[in-house]
Amino acid sequence: MTIDPVLLDLMTSVFADRGPTPHGVLDRALWDTLSSCGLTRLTTPEHSGGSGATWTEAAVLLRAAAARGLALPLAENDLLAGWLLTEAGLPSDDILRTACVLEPAGTARGVPWARDAGRIVALWQTGDGWLVADLDPASVHVTRGTNLAGEPRDDVAADLAATRGVPVACHLAEEFVLRGALARALQMTGAMESVLRLCVTHATTRTQFGRPLARFQPVQHLIADIAAETSLARAAADACVREGLTPLSVAVARSCAGHAATTVVRNAHQVHGAMGTTAEHSLHTLTLAILGWRADYGSLHEWDERLTTAAVTAGGELWALIAPV
Amino acid sequence: MKDLRAKVRAFLRSRRFVPAVDAWHGGWDEDFTRDLARHHWVGMTIPRQYGGAGRTFLERWAVTEELLAAGAPVAAHWIADRQVAPSLLAFGTDEQRHAFLPPIARGECFFAIGMSEPDSGSDLASVRTRADRADGGWLLTGTKVWTTGAHRAHGFIVLARTSPQAGADRHAGLSQFIVDLRTPGVTIRPIVSMGGEHHFNEVVLADVFVPDTRVLGRIGDGWRQVTSELGYERSGPERFLSTLPLLAETAAATGRGELPRHPDLGRHIARLAALRHLSHGVASSLQAGRPADTEAALVKVLGTTLEGDIAELADHVGAASPLLRTALLRRPGFTLRGGSGEILRGVIARGLGLRA
Repeated sequence: MTIDPVLLDLMTSVFADRGPTPHGVLDRALWDTLSSCGLTRLTTPEHSGGSGATWTEAAVLLRAAAARGLALPLAENDLLAGWLLTEAGLPSDDILRTACVLEPAGTARGVPWARDAGRIVALWQTGDGWLVADLDPASVHVTRGTNLAGEPRDDVAADLAATRGVPVACHLAEEFVLRGALARALQMTGAMESVLRLCVTHATTRTQFGRPLARFQPVQHLIADIAAETSLARAAADACVREGLTPLSVAVARSCAGHAATTVVRNAHQVHGAMGTTAEHSLHTLTLAILGWRADYGSLHEWDERLTTAAVTAGGELWALIAPV
Repeated sequence: MKDLRAKVRAFLRSRRFVPAVDAWHGGWDEDFTRDLARHHWVGMTIPRQYGGAGRTFLERWAVTEELLAAGAPVAAHWIADRQVAPSLLAFGTDEQRHAFLPPIARGECFFAIGMSEPDSGSDLASVRTRADRADGGWLLTGTKVWTTGAHRAHGFIVLARTSPQAGADRHAGLSQFIVDLRTPGVTIRPIVSMGGEHHFNEVVLADVFVPDTRVLGRIGDGWRQVTSELGYERSGPERFLSTLPLLAETAAATGRGELPRHPDLGRHIARLAALRHLSHGVASSLQAGRPADTEAALVKVLGTTLEGDIAELADHVGAASPLLRTALLRRPGFTLRGGSGEILRGVIARGLGLRA
């Protein structure tokens, strides 16, 4: 997958010298810079004020930010909130947005970045179908929470009786989950590639028993397995971006990324020893983020279960499911 | 490419065979091979001037995937098709190409590989089979083991030492020879596997004469020639599809309510789907002439582990399939043949800059 080199340069330079903020505090200055470069509404159509790019460009951006351990509402603002507004035919602008699917009671748990959002785009089901609204945070109740990495995951409660929504197609609820899930798989793989680099650097520079850790075969194998799992997860997420989001392709990407996370996080901490578990060391900004993202938009078990269902209902045609012609 | 896959699937539906696990290793069926050859699906990447189909490596990749997924008996031509034909095209003389490639493409000439020895497993550079200069050729003496199909194949490619190891360069002084398995001095003995099957052999060479015209490539260049082909050998669909027929049967039996549902089924399908993308990426690199040793090693580590995990899952849920028995018996071999998992992790570590 290739993108415009000018855009790639922009994405690289805008994150240069940027690192994670403590405890998931939104880096407003960075967000404003991204916004002024047109990177916060990358896939929103140009006629709605976005940059009119595709998932291919969004994937590079999400990975670039994740590789630096940066927690930013890029997926929420553009790929979820911006997309929902476009689908609903509602206007959008440069205000930071997040998005969520509300339960019939008007609540949503663990909404990313709700406390920082200037608007919250909500999708909910009524007896007459699905509705979308661009909510003013002042009209909803936000209870703060965080994920494992300290990123905002807030509970939202809206008064649906007093909320007017625009009707949208019913498939958007499923698509919302698929889009959010793929965004997290892309972020996870971006962070995993940085974890791999950190491990290689540490193993080649840290000396024990008079030689670099990299000279010990068990350490080599721990890192080789990180590389293998990361490349598999990346291949699955890339295929989704290249060939389009389907329930199956997203499930494959999330299953691979989720299981890769197990090996990558465990082995990376093993290679780094006790120093990798400290607040001072940067490893946790990646490993905790990976685990936090794995918990968003469907658990690992749910994605494996989706694939299991697809396999057992394939009626003996498992290969045709995996390799359709 | 989808048309090609559909054609192969239609052919496989029309052909009678019992789907097997690991059929590229154990499924020797010369009639089936010749039938495939009539459809130009053997020696696909051999140029037309040598009797092949002149197709791309990616087209071969798609066809082999279909054959392996169906558990079709493709062992007879497997090594000739995968390894020997590309080696002849890369290093062979024009006479050698004309002599061997057309019968390979017709599904009439079968090959084996003579690399490992009793004292040389993972450490291939330590081979002791010797080739001594003789009038008009070479005399080969030594013992090769794990030579799959030697008792049925016509020839095998032997890696032998043509000059004694001198100094630190263990890779110098090795050469490759095309050896007719019917030559006087060749003795083939079965190595029976723990399941009672005979696929492997010990091949003893006692002063076997090989004419100069059957030297493959350049004398002393054997190591480079052998290792340059590893990308193909390690990244193909046979490194992740060996137990697919068992996975398909397990899924179908679960669907019929005969086996309990297990989420590893979904996990394994995800890994298979992703491995296909990874393997296809390596195939594309090789087609474009880009080196992909590390990527090929990644495919083989992940894929052969998955092949074993599929056998494990089927056993965990109590599958009653005869395929399971074969899969469990063959499983230790998955992560040994073609470079053990440990050797491959070393290759990956080198690619990452962790070791010299």
